[in-house]
Amino acid sequence: MQWLSSRLAGQVIAAVGALLLTAGISAVMLRLGGYDPLTAARALVGGAFGSSNAFLSVTLVRSVPLILTGLAVALAFRAGVWNIGAEGQLYAGAIAAVWVGLSVEGMSPWVAIPGVLLAAGLAGAVWALVPTLMKLHLGVGEVITTILMNFVGIYFAAYVVHGPLQESRGVFPQTDQIAATAQLPALLPGTRLHVGFALALALAMGLAVFLRRTRLGFQVRAVGASSEAARVAGRIDARRVILLSFLGSGVLAGLAGGVEVAGVTRALYEGLSPGWGYTAIAVALLAGLHPGAVVLTGVLFGALEAGAGAMQRDAGIPAVWVIAIEAIIILAVLAMDQLRRREVRRV
Amino acid sequence: MTRAPTGHAASARLTGVHRRFGPVVALAGADLDVRPGEIHAVLGENGAGKSTLLGVLGGMLRPDAGLLEIGGAPVELRSPRDAWAHGVGLALGRRGIAGAWRLRYARVRAQAGELMRRTGLDVPLDASTERLGVGDRQRVEILKALLRDPPLLALDEPTAVLTPGEVLSLFGLLRDLAGEGRAVILVGHKIDEVLSVADRVTVLRHGRTTLEAARREVDAAALIQAMVGRDVDDPAAVGRRSDGRGSGRTRGQSVASLDAVRLRDATGRVVLDDVDLSVSRGELVGIAGVEGNGQRELAQVLAGRLVPEAGSVRVPEGVGFIPQDRTREGLVADFDLVENVALALHGEAVFANGPFVRWDALRERAEQVRERFDVRSTGVRQRVGTLSGGNQQRLVVGRELERARDLLVAENPTRGLDVAATAFVHAELRRLREAADGPAVVLVSTDLDEVMALSDRVLVMTRGRLVTVDDAQRTREGVGALMLGGRDAVA
Repeated sequence: MQWLSSRLAGQVIAAVGALLLTAGISAVMLRLGGYDPLTAARALVGGAFGSSNAFLSVTLVRSVPLILTGLAVALAFRAGVWNIGAEGQLYAGAIAAVWVGLSVEGMSPWVAIPGVLLAAGLAGAVWALVPTLMKLHLGVGEVITTILMNFVGIYFAAYVVHGPLQESRGVFPQTDQIAATAQLPALLPGTRLHVGFALALALAMGLAVFLRRTRLGFQVRAVGASSEAARVAGRIDARRVILLSFLGSGVLAGLAGGVEVAGVTRALYEGLSPGWGYTAIAVALLAGLHPGAVVLTGVLFGALEAGAGAMQRDAGIPAVWVIAIEAIIILAVLAMDQLRRREVRRV
Repeated sequence: MTRAPTGHAASARLTGVHRRFGPVVALAGADLDVRPGEIHAVLGENGAGKSTLLGVLGGMLRPDAGLLEIGGAPVELRSPRDAWAHGVGLALGRRGIAGAWRLRYARVRAQAGELMRRTGLDVPLDASTERLGVGDRQRVEILKALLRDPPLLALDEPTAVLTPGEVLSLFGLLRDLAGEGRAVILVGHKIDEVLSVADRVTVLRHGRTTLEAARREVDAAALIQAMVGRDVDDPAAVGRRSDGRGSGRTRGQSVASLDAVRLRDATGRVVLDDVDLSVSRGELVGIAGVEGNGQRELAQVLAGRLVPEAGSVRVPEGVGFIPQDRTREGLVADFDLVENVALALHGEAVFANGPFVRWDALRERAEQVRERFDVRSTGVRQRVGTLSGGNQQRLVVGRELERARDLLVAENPTRGLDVAATAFVHAELRRLREAADGPAVVLVSTDLDEVMALSDRVLVMTRGRLVTVDDAQRTREGVGALMLGGRDAVA
């Protein structure tokens, strides 16, 4: 019903505008850097969408953790909770997933896989619990605490792979492979695309229905839009809503780590995530915090990362350019958002 | 005092100003001519464009068309700083202060203290403005503008939340300023006040100037005619109660009661001190008082929004609550009409289906509220942030009546509303107390006339205590003395 509202149309226009703006600025910067923007674009698009293998096995696979962390950020931001900690929650999920995945050797996949994912989600929630409690009971702003918890998560993962969970050979700072039955099966035979992608789609749909149709979802939106009106006019317990959405956000980010381990890497090592938890903020903002749109923007950012390698290989343009492009997208989204706000502001 | 930039004549002329906000036309050819040494009142209903016009003069809004002259020369204002450089100082209404801000610097403090004595406005200098109530915020906003002492001073509805005494001293100060050759613009909608203080009057309606005249050339009827374009009774007469009704009415069963209730605010100050109150079906209890004496908290406790630290509270299930700050507490500006109706009603069984919200039923209910209470909007899908203040209040009132089966608590329900919207709210409150099996109504208001006109029983809040007004004291003077008694004791 509300999908067709003019607000949605405005957001679509803003997102498309932001992308066009990004393309323009990136083209100018590439030109200034001495590269041909068209060659770069061709290599990038080719690497991401050029073949069914590129699209299914690279782009979509890369989009899975981005969609999941993007949903985590979208849920938190909708509730007015500035969870910048998806990165740490992702690592917490990955650590828990490996730990469980190593100990379910010989069990049926019907037990092992849910066990791994459950552990990952719980670990993400635990990681989010610390900033949540500090926010609710001590009034400490979650932006700082979630960022700090990221470092704790990243270095805890480093400790784990150097110490307690280091591979049995003891050579590399990484864990052993998790049990075969704990690994996510392929979604399409012959590709690297795993069922984690389907899970991400289902969660996006579930989150959309939750926000749109359920009482708690409505309360999340109300608290995020105006906690004062939610309390006074809505008689909504904002603390409960913040607690639940913060933890839910942690669950989604933790799942991103668990799905990545169980679906792609099979093991944990340092630098598992190239900053998905941060890119997730751009994914969510570009999507206007709409879960359905997060799928699209997640795939878009997956394509950028997939295309980055091809761009370096085929056009000789360093892959770091893609990081710059991602940053420009964030700036363009914020700029478009401000423009839109100015349009509707009244005095 | 900080000296204003000199060399600027204290006059301003706006001619044919147009300004739109998206689909909303706020100004459609407004004129304003302010001369040195005068108090110039700008009158108009809510949504007539008064605040927008001030925004243009204050450099916060660029007009789409029209000419702006200050001191006889055409100017283009790009920012509030620009306006200040031209000698225009503004005190905005409710939207004034952004974020946390403290009046804490020694020099400013001394000046502010002096100014507070002179104006009779009193604010806690050490409080963060985020924590201040609406009244204190407005006082700070006025003090801020006066501190800068500009040649041309514009005040947006400064009296909305002031006590009668404060209004008098503020007006005295404005007279002095005008006497020094400054120009003062006073935006408002209280006709009596305007007639008592202004030298000249400009009336806006639907973004156009409908009247510009010297004070002595107009009377209340002419101003009302220009404001609303139709015949409305003099607001002073609306609802002024001539009969002694109320004392003889039979009260129904008690629906809510407070017993020895105590509450402190965040700073530890006692805001509710041993309060007892029982309200019954079919009665309208009026609670008068100067802002900041605990009535905000009393209203929230009665409405079940605040839990006191001591004492017992019995509040019924079906409570409607009309909070005083409708844009912050009553509505979510970013939500549409349906979602704002859902805000209040989403917990009720009829609108729930397991964990799901029944949006179809809520939409229907929103349509009904919109129609019955004449909420002017393009449809139930319009964002309420784009509605005028009066229409926002119609929505809040309509919505809260829906759930006020047992009790309605209304906190300054007509603050900032125009004549027609005020009459509407008063009529709804009256209808409610006349209704058989209607809810109990508690009206908390700083507008003494409103309380006197509508209530069966009048109580006064002073310093957190609830004082009963007996029949002998039930005069404007009697109740006023009780209100002021509290305030004097504070100071």
